[in-house]
Order: sequence, then C-alpha cells, then structure tokens
Amino acid sequence: MNDMRIVERDVTASSAKMAARGVQVYYGENHALKDVDIDILDKTVTAFIGPSGCGKSTFLRCLNRMNDTVASARVLGSITLENEDIYDKRVDPVTLRAKVGMVFQKPNPFPKSIYDNVAYGPKIHGLTRNKAELDEVVEKSLRKAAIWNEVKDRLDAPGTGLSGGQQQRLCIARAIATSPEVLLMDEPCSALDPIATAQVEELIDELRSQFSVVIVTHSMQQAARVSQRTAFFHLGNLVEYGETGQIFTNPSDPRTESYITGRIG
Amino acid sequence: MSDATSQMPAAARPKHSLFEPDARTRRRNAAETRFRFFGASAIVVAVLALVILLASVLGSGLGAFRQTFIHIPITLDATALDKGGNRNPEDMKKVTTIGYAKILEQGLKAAIAEKGLTVDPALTAKQIAGLMSQDAAAQLRNQVLADPSLLGQTIEFSALANGRVDGFLKGRVTLESAARDSNISPAQLNLVSEMKDAGLVSLDFNPAFITSGDASEVRPEAAGLGVAILGSAYMMLIVLVLSLPIGVAASIYLEEFAPKNKLTDMIEVNISNLAAVPSIVFGILGLAIFINFMGLPQSAPIVGGLVLTLMTLPTIIIATRAALKAVPPSIRDAALGVGASKMQAIFHHALPLAMPGILTGTIIGLAQALGETAPLLLIGMVAFVRETPGAPPEGFFDPASALPVQVYNFTQRADPAFVERASGAIIVLLVFLVIMNAVAIMLRRRFERRW
Repeated sequence: MNDMRIVERDVTASSAKMAARGVQVYYGENHALKDVDIDILDKTVTAFIGPSGCGKSTFLRCLNRMNDTVASARVLGSITLENEDIYDKRVDPVTLRAKVGMVFQKPNPFPKSIYDNVAYGPKIHGLTRNKAELDEVVEKSLRKAAIWNEVKDRLDAPGTGLSGGQQQRLCIARAIATSPEVLLMDEPCSALDPIATAQVEELIDELRSQFSVVIVTHSMQQAARVSQRTAFFHLGNLVEYGETGQIFTNPSDPRTESYITGRIG
Repeated sequence: MSDATSQMPAAARPKHSLFEPDARTRRRNAAETRFRFFGASAIVVAVLALVILLASVLGSGLGAFRQTFIHIPITLDATALDKGGNRNPEDMKKVTTIGYAKILEQGLKAAIAEKGLTVDPALTAKQIAGLMSQDAAAQLRNQVLADPSLLGQTIEFSALANGRVDGFLKGRVTLESAARDSNISPAQLNLVSEMKDAGLVSLDFNPAFITSGDASEVRPEAAGLGVAILGSAYMMLIVLVLSLPIGVAASIYLEEFAPKNKLTDMIEVNISNLAAVPSIVFGILGLAIFINFMGLPQSAPIVGGLVLTLMTLPTIIIATRAALKAVPPSIRDAALGVGASKMQAIFHHALPLAMPGILTGTIIGLAQALGETAPLLLIGMVAFVRETPGAPPEGFFDPASALPVQVYNFTQRADPAFVERASGAIIVLLVFLVIMNAVAIMLRRRFERRW
C-alpha cells in the first residue's frame, strides 16, 4: 500500500543540529522524562512516536523551552543547538524560539488577518526593513506552506475564518516566516481530516530541504511516511532511536515491536 | 474485549408503550414545567418591579424639568438701579436684590392692571409679589449686571414663580390645600388662574434645573443640578484616569507575571474582599488619608474621585483578571512559539482579546462609583454648594456636590416641591448611567469587530 511505503531514504545530512544529553524533566514530583539522549540531524524529519503520556510532547517542548511557561516543570541535563546549551543562563528563550519554531496540535492562528498572522514574527524580530520586504516574506512563507494560492486574494480576511487544514498551514507559514533552523510540530495533523493531513505531510517533506523538522505524532503510518528518523518513547524513556526504516521493519527493542504491531499503546 | 458483547444486566424494566408516559417520566416533566413556571414568574416580578420604579421616578420627576414662569414686561429704571448714572458695574453692584424686587413688584402689579384682572381686595401687595420666587430678583439683577445697556429699557422678563404657584400649575397644590397652608392663600391661587388665562403665567422647559446650582430650603423652584452634575463628571474623570491604568496594570502583573505563592494568594483573596467592603468604610479612609493627613480640601471632587477610585479598583481588577484568564492559552503559546516575549504576547494578543471584558468591568465600576453616596457624605460633599466649580484642573479642588448626594440632600428638605426635584435628579442620574452603558456596548462592539 502506498501509505505504508517505508522508503529506504538516503539520509544525506548527518551533522547533529540539536543534541540532548541526559535530559530529565520533572513536573513537580512527577518524573515525566528519564535520561533522554538524542541527536536531531540537520535537514531531516525526525518523528517521535509512542503511546499517550510517554513524554514525547514534553521532550519536544524542551527543545524550544516552551516548558518554561509551565511553573512546575524542571528540566535537567543539557540540550544544545549547534553546540550552544539552550538552557544556559545567557540564553534568552525569545531568541531561541525564533530559531526553533513551533507548530501546535490545534491550529491556533491569531484572531487577526492572514497577513498579520504571518507578518507578526518578522515584525517583532525586526527581520524586515520596510513594507515591501515584509510583503515578500509573507508571500514566500505562505508559498512555502502551500497555502498561497488559496489565500492570496484575501490576505486581509481573518485567519480564524479558514478551514482547519488551512489554519494549520497558516500556522506553519507563521512559524517559518521567522526562518527558523528547526521546526517543531506537536501532532500537527491530529485535528485535521485525511486530505488536509496529506497536504501537511507533503509540506513537511518539502520543508526538509531547509530546516530540520521534529514531529510528534500518534499515527505510526504518518511517522513512516514523513520521517527519516524515528524515536520511540515509552513511559518517559527513550526506548529506541534510529532510521525510520529500521525502526519499523527491524526494531531492536521488544517494546518497540509491540507498539508498532499494536500490542501496547 | 469490549463490554458491548457481554450480557446486559437484567434490569426489571416492564414493557411500556411509547405513547403513554410512565409515572417517572410524568414526574420529571412536571418538575420541569414547575421550574419553568418559577423562572417565568421571577422574570415577570423583576420586570414589574422595574416598570414600577421607572413609572414612579418618571411620574414624579419629569415635572422638575418644567417650571412655572411669570412673563411680565419690566421697565428697568436707570435712576433706581444705577444711582451714579455711569453704568459702572462696580457701582451697580451696590444695588442689592431688594432694589430689583421692588421693580419686579411694580412690573407685576402693572401687568395685572393692564390685563384688567380682578384682584381680591384682601390680597396685600406683599402677597401679590409673593407669587414670584425670591430668586427672581437675583435673576433680574444678574441679567442687568451682565448687560448694563438694558438699563432704561423695558424688557420681557420671565420671572420664576414661587414653588407653591408652580405646584398649583402642576396639580400638587390645590385650593383646599392652600386654605391650610400659611405660605399661600386661595385668593392668591385664584389670581394665578386668572393670570394663566391671560397668558401671564405658563409652564415652560426649565434649563436652569440642569445648569444652575442648589438653592436654599425656601426656594425649591430655583434649585438645580449644575454643580452636582459637574462634580460627578469631574469625579468620574478622576476615577477613570486613575483606576483604569492602575487596575489593568495590577491585574496584568498578578495574572501573568506574579509568582504563585502564599503572598499573591493573600493579595488575591483580599482584593476580592475589598470589593465587598461597605463603601462608607472607604469614606472614613478617604477622610483620614486625603483630608486629615494629606490636607486636601473638603467637598472637593479630587478627594471624592480618589475615594471612589479606591472603591472601583477591586471591581476593575477582578473583571480584568477574569477577562485575561478567559483568553485561550493557545493564543499565548502561538505568540511565544514565534518568539514573542511574554510582554509582547500579553500586549499584542492577550490584552486586545480581553479588552471587551476589561471595558465592561470598568464601566460597571464607574457606574457603581457614579451612584455611590455614603463615602461622599463623609468627605464633605454633602455641603450646600451654590457656586459652580471652575474648569479643571483647578476645578477639581473647588467645592462641588455629586448627583446621588444631591438626591439625598433634596429628600432631606421639608418643602414638598423638593420631592419632584429629587426624582428629577434621579432621572438625570439614570440618563448618565444609560449613556455610560451605551458607550460600553459601543466600545465592546468595536473591539470585537476587529477580529
């Protein structure tokens, strides 16, 4: 079946864009993530799979310090972006998040116009010098997010008036407008129908040429379709991490196999 | 294995036709019908109460906007009113209202004679002059002092009629009640009826009720709300300018930035408690701090405004925090996700979304403050103030009154004519409240339409 194709993609990039070493996350007393070591490769789609509550979203939110907004969360260990520790005291999470963009589970466009949604990031980071440049960035981002043709005639319309799939692609356009180096996606298709999902997946594959993409997903088929590398989380542990083809066809850990074959999770 | 395939527990459910409700269903339906009835009756009672309130206030208060005037030609005798003959306003001020009262008296007598009205011989000259308000002379004097060129001319003057005469035209005073009244006699009222038929006396719209200051107990016909309206307006301005920024800033800090610990918990609880503190307590506080300690003047809108600000703050803070809490966290996440700082996320996204709620809270707080009486009594705003306060900012320190206090003041006075004044003041107060609510709704619409 086409959907289940597991291509032996050649993983050209091998340099680690982000590296996590011994990451522990506590929510209050709850030890949510235990000792995670992982390398996120450049220009690669990395999928995090695992049953609900296994810590994959938690780990994703560590990568751009969104966990800072949760008062009870504590992160130990080190996560580096191009060899710079992102939890260093000198790091401003604001500049980090400009480099590590994020797309959320539920499409959450600002209740503003489509144009303003995309222009917001470049505006607050001062990436453009004038209106013409901003227009260009907005158009480029919307084109990259494969939504330009649908919205080019109504950039002033509210972003919340779009359909679910369009909203999610708008959110992706918003995230890539700041030209991040890494794009984090937290179950970006869980609120979308199959057609919109297919569009977003196609988009993810295209985005790979410019960013590394990290995607959390509940759908193993999706992980198999879009990613080159897959990490399997279970009960707060990183059980297995490797090339997607190998994880899905020849997992080394029995828990991975159980999950993939549907016996747990 | 799912439970769907397992055996259903054998509940004893007798077979029953769908067309006939069983006893349990009937009871449930009856309960619902009863509840609906109670709800509808509550609405009916509430609407009736509102209608009765409005009807009574409007019924007794609308008359205050119309006043009886006596229209007579007055010859302003230059020799009597400007003894120096040089039209110098300083010299002319030496002629007091007594001088003008004499001229009015002569004018009224002449007018009655000219129309050929029958005057009861028992009526004294003083009684005839008494048909006019004691304020009429002051009115005429002010008019002449403002325009000395009127001297020597004959002008058409509309003199305020006495409160009893006004009551007679409005049906409050009758010939029977006048027989028992030492202030007016039936003979006087008969004369008024004739004057009315001759067109000398009529009920006209009375702008002075809204513009002029309070008047003493014996001349209700001259009492107005000007000082009270201005005082209330000044106070609302102060309350708005102080409480909105302070309240919103406090809420943003508490809601978004403050660490959640015992101290902020305590602050939070106490803000809620402050909203329930009796307003008179704020009056005592204002008296102690602003007047006794800081030495601000008594009866001044600045003190009233500060006290009402303290009172309004909890309302605004609670409303603003609720509005901020209601902004979906996904919007904040979205802003933070593209690299907005916390403050940018709040000011660019959360605050605009919370704006309708904040405005509603602010207007509710302002409306409360506008109707507040008790704390103002304690800081001296209950004083009798006739002089209109000056323009801001100096005017904030001039003595003034406030609308609700003026209502209270009017109701304390003996003359029945003040009942009408009090109701009229309530109408003005209600009109202001309606205007404020309309503004709130308008602003809310505008902010909501932007999204």
